[in-house]
Amino acid sequence: MNEVSFHNFRVSAAQAIANAHLQSAIDGATLKFRNGRRAMLADLPDVEAMRDHFKAMRSATLAHLTDYLEQFECNARAAGAQVHWARDAAEAQQIVIGIARQHGAQLAVKAKSMTTEEIHLNAALAEAGITSVETDLGEWIVQLAAEAPAHIVVPALHKTRQQVAELFSREVGKPLSADDIPTLTAEARRALREKFLAAQIGISGANLGVAETGSIVLVTNEGNGRMVSSVPPVHVAVMGIEKLCPTWDDAAVWLELLARSSTGQPLSVYTTVLTGPARPDDPDGPRELHIVLYDGGRSRLIGTSYEEVLQCIRCGACLNHCPVYQEAGGHAYGHAYSGPIGAVLVPLLLGLEQYEALPHASSLCGACLEVCPARIDLPRMLLDLRAEEVTHGIIAPPEQAIEKSAAWLLRHRRLFNLLTDLGRVFQRPLVRHGGLWLPRRLNPAQERQLPSLAPRSFHDLWEELAAEEAAPAPVARRRLPSRRTTVTLAGLSLLPLALLWRLLRRKGGKRR
Amino acid sequence: MNTAREDILNALRGRVRRSESPPAPWQSRQHFDDPIARFADTLTSLYGEVIRATNADDALNRLGNVLTNLGATRVAVNDEPPLAGVDLAARWPDITWHIVGRTEGDLKSFCADADAGVTGAIAALAETGSIVVSSGPGRSRLVSLLPPVHIALVPVSCLTTDLLTWAAARAGEWPANVVAITGPSRTADIEQTTALGMHGPKRVIAILYGE
Ligand code: SF4
Repeated sequence: MNEVSFHNFRVSAAQAIANAHLQSAIDGATLKFRNGRRAMLADLPDVEAMRDHFKAMRSATLAHLTDYLEQFECNARAAGAQVHWARDAAEAQQIVIGIARQHGAQLAVKAKSMTTEEIHLNAALAEAGITSVETDLGEWIVQLAAEAPAHIVVPALHKTRQQVAELFSREVGKPLSADDIPTLTAEARRALREKFLAAQIGISGANLGVAETGSIVLVTNEGNGRMVSSVPPVHVAVMGIEKLCPTWDDAAVWLELLARSSTGQPLSVYTTVLTGPARPDDPDGPRELHIVLYDGGRSRLIGTSYEEVLQCIRCGACLNHCPVYQEAGGHAYGHAYSGPIGAVLVPLLLGLEQYEALPHASSLCGACLEVCPARIDLPRMLLDLRAEEVTHGIIAPPEQAIEKSAAWLLRHRRLFNLLTDLGRVFQRPLVRHGGLWLPRRLNPAQERQLPSLAPRSFHDLWEELAAEEAAPAPVARRRLPSRRTTVTLAGLSLLPLALLWRLLRRKGGKRR
Repeated sequence: MNTAREDILNALRGRVRRSESPPAPWQSRQHFDDPIARFADTLTSLYGEVIRATNADDALNRLGNVLTNLGATRVAVNDEPPLAGVDLAARWPDITWHIVGRTEGDLKSFCADADAGVTGAIAALAETGSIVVSSGPGRSRLVSLLPPVHIALVPVSCLTTDLLTWAAARAGEWPANVVAITGPSRTADIEQTTALGMHGPKRVIAILYGE
């Protein structure tokens, strides 16, 4: 199955670009986060050194992940938590369903969690006859609309207040006005409060785990993380195995950077540290705490050139700074992890073949690397993934053949000249205002043009200039182009043809 | 067949890099000439409220004023300093109190429709304007979570620079539940418009007492 082919990506990106509300929502939210991040990081002393430190800590943790996982497990158990291990999504789902069944749970309340999105937990619970209600306001909106999150921090970014009012009205069974956002929020509070009080099980992810104490940390602004871990009698947290840090010193650095990088807050409203279930003399809290350590393809990446991607703390800064995300929106990425981190992580966890377009969803401007609290080199990995598409034959044979012939052609000057001369003639019907416009079928949004072949080639002009220069008494000396420059320039002028071919090929949609 | 645990750990074991050691703990810290002002300014800028009291007794007076202004009739309270041992019912006879661990009846349903919850604090963080509360005997998680208003009585003696300093200085076992609360519950999930009191309290009032 090809989840995000080039064609799919282009079509949904074009839809996002045509959606004026979405564009202004993305612009507004990402601008707010960018400004907030800048101001909040500036408030920390030595923040650049702190980021270096953080990266070194994340890297060293992954280098010794077995030790920390075992230490975490041992300490979490000592605190009374039950620790489970899941190799893949199906195993993780079964563990959660098993715990729910054991307690006869029919209603689960869920805090916002990317890891549970990743394992499609809601769908699995529904199939097992267990209703699972998302309680983060944005996630709930997206759940009511039966859609996917549009941003890893603000899932319902794409919804207008009118759409939200409609969804809520249907849910609470009375008409609600879209004019008053606080009232809509209050209605959601009331509806979700009932669920919290009725649910037999609370489900969450975990922003991080601390090996030295076996604690997990949940970070939320609304309080859904606190609710699911305080109100129902059982709490299950699903945590990726990479989300560990050794000590509380490390956890504090992590938390100092997380909310600042994410939403531009000094700390999120609620930073909840959970160490085991409620103690016997606690007046309330869950009797059981289950922690599911989830691999899902992560262990495979340790020790490879992609290991760095596991240093991610899901802050969303790379999305907020990415020019491609800002135009294409989250849904084009075809997965809950969108933006630059999604473009690298999703193909690595779920398969490059299925997500072939994602490594190309980048201008390689490097903004993601610049803002990432862990300085994860996403641009390098995007390039590595593109290279893998070639070496592993994920790029289809015809394209490989074309690229090889192009390379060959560039070494054969005269043939190249002949072909570009032909191109000058045959491009004519497609040239408008100096640009080469591909037909709508190939260029759905009609937002791009290719440079047309110039009436005369640079090579021609150069020869003429060189001839002039050879004439007596030159005014200024011009340097002759090296052979390498010539080849490079020729290569550049061939690019439009290569792109044209690429588009033609993608148009076909499926192949193999 | 291997268990999932063995499979995951075995896959990782071959890839451990013994040569890479963790960095030394992060040392750099903020410095505030006036940590109280920083705490108050930050919490206020995050929609919280701060009331200054001279001592524990003054703090109780101020608590009384806040409750009167709220028109509170049902108040849940954690049995922890500086409230432990205070005869609340005698002092504020018009209010129905639920003292955690002492009052009979269901704490959860009381909190769910109380007018306010009152707690102490185990720490406060100047840098981020955070109030740290914890679970334990007499310390409910719900008192600071379910009612629409959370009032925390915070001694200045527990004010620390920041999370880094506090985490480094903290000793002993962790309680089951520790929360750093930085302002009232909020959301901006509908059209980026801030709304307070999504799941937790709409108002967070810190009564900071002592020198
Ligand atoms: S890759 Fe970096 S910037 Fe992007 S979400 Fe992860 S930690 Fe944040």
